[in-house]
Amino acid sequence: MLRVAVNQRPNWKELAANLGFHFHTIEGEPYWTEDAYYQFTMEQVEKDIEDPTEALHELCLDAVDRICDSDALLSRLAIPEFMWGSIRESWRSGQPHLYGRMDFAYSGTGPAKLLELNYDTPTSIYEAGFFQWVWLEQVIEQNGLPRHADQFNSIQERLIAALAHIGQRLEGGELYFSSIKDQIEDRATVEYLQDCAVQAGLAAPFIYMEDIGHRPGSEHGCFVDLDNQPIRALFKLYPWEEMNTEAFGRLVPKLATHWFEPPWKAILSNKAILPLLWELNEGHPNLLPAFYDPEPNKTLPAGWVRKPFFSREGSNIELVTPGGEREFVSGPYTDSPHIIQAYHPMPRFGDRHALIGSWVVGDKACGIGIREDVGRITKDTSCFVPHAIL
Amino acid sequence: MSKKHSPNLSRRKRSVRLTLALMGAGAAVTLAGCADDNSYESYEAPHVTGVAFSDPNPYRDVEECVEAKVYTRQTCETSYADSLKAAPRFDSLEACEQAHGEGACAPPTQEHLQASGGSQNSGGGWFAPALMGYMVGNMMSASSNGSKLHSAYHEPVYRNRENRGNWNAATAATTTRLAQRHNEVSKSVAATGRSITKQRAATAKSMGTQRSGFGSRSSARGGFGS
Repeated sequence: MLRVAVNQRPNWKELAANLGFHFHTIEGEPYWTEDAYYQFTMEQVEKDIEDPTEALHELCLDAVDRICDSDALLSRLAIPEFMWGSIRESWRSGQPHLYGRMDFAYSGTGPAKLLELNYDTPTSIYEAGFFQWVWLEQVIEQNGLPRHADQFNSIQERLIAALAHIGQRLEGGELYFSSIKDQIEDRATVEYLQDCAVQAGLAAPFIYMEDIGHRPGSEHGCFVDLDNQPIRALFKLYPWEEMNTEAFGRLVPKLATHWFEPPWKAILSNKAILPLLWELNEGHPNLLPAFYDPEPNKTLPAGWVRKPFFSREGSNIELVTPGGEREFVSGPYTDSPHIIQAYHPMPRFGDRHALIGSWVVGDKACGIGIREDVGRITKDTSCFVPHAIL
Repeated sequence: MSKKHSPNLSRRKRSVRLTLALMGAGAAVTLAGCADDNSYESYEAPHVTGVAFSDPNPYRDVEECVEAKVYTRQTCETSYADSLKAAPRFDSLEACEQAHGEGACAPPTQEHLQASGGSQNSGGGWFAPALMGYMVGNMMSASSNGSKLHSAYHEPVYRNRENRGNWNAATAATTTRLAQRHNEVSKSVAATGRSITKQRAATAKSMGTQRSGFGSRSSARGGFGS
């Protein structure tokens, strides 16, 4: 694994604008960067990332199965009891999921270590699945990389296949897509997934989460769209734990709307899954020791990372390196319990730390995206850097 | 895992071809068509409101396509190369024949290898159904900003156990398959376009419906991707 400097494509910003990539620069700071790429060998990709991703995914599904069977485990995850029925029902009836991303610390040697799962509302999939692919094709064309250069990336192909599979199970092949208002990045990610859905032959209308409606008296009906038409199935880029605390949250188990990701994904998008995975598979080479944190207000000892059950984009994460250096990212996720996880260094290239996001679509590992940050905690502002296999 | 690491399989780890259907100003075209359009101004990008497909024309090779004078030589050549590239790969003759019928498969030709862009010595060791020819047609997409965009679509024609190498049977089956697929795509593009339009025009006309039951804490927490 190397970080290699490369010429930027001269017209990439225009290209990005034309291809719907409007958040390549966030608040004036670069987000997509292509003055360098990460280089892997085929063996690194297949043996150290692809295989472990699929193996861990299996362990995750095993864990879901166990947790669904146990009230005690469900309550350890801080999932409200009114959702347990929907979670179990969605798992036991085999409701398919669409996608997830595992974040790994991996330096090119030794086992990749799972830092966390993003299994409910993962983003950066447009960048990884589409724009990164375009980058490699064009850089090869412009002789910046040899013709045999490759990339671990069949993400979009897999998305279309997985959506086609989901579409066959939906009435009228119709799947609504949703995100919240005023969030360009979330909206663009959903637009990309709509694009894939259309290519898979689905009808893919959009509705903002805030606009989803409920008609009182239709307890066994569905949520409705802005024309009061039933929403039979909806993909939401909006987390289960937020929905669970909101006015319509308690309607979810009563109404017939099908959700993607399905309710059982609430188990895996929760950082409390990390201690459970460790408990069930202690010593697994790709897992880090992790435990429930009974005293989140106590000083964090050296060599540990503290994370809330529910947080995104690095928010509210605290770490102390074995050498005693402390880093903390503040944020709004102060209202859930915490876990602690053994600190594992991410590889450093110059002053940047690199994090590998490994995508699972359907149940298949199908690509990676790299994020880098000067800090040790990857955040929403961390840059996306493309990769190549050589 | 053994199938994945079989040394006989093509080691290519990325997709051969990707397209966007809705996103961006040049939606519904493949990459090459998008690069010189600079019309993007705001985030409310135009969306595709409809697509239409012309009937496909069958050709056995590039020369037949060029001679028909329906498409440019470049379209004929690119479509042919892409059709070659799209061939499914199998790591044994048996596996290929099981899927496509006895006698339908062959090791890659020089053309295959060139189209795949791989170096010559990386080729071989895989099997693909024999390409009998290909079909080319026009796709027209209409955008909400009034622009109309033409592009070509193409589809390989393979030998299989149903057509047993009969050209007319093979092209007829391919035409039927394409018509079904195009129908689905047109329907879903139209439905999606309608819903975008509806949504943009939506007013608070829906009496008796409660809304804002989700997303209440969104302003406090920013985006929800992770």
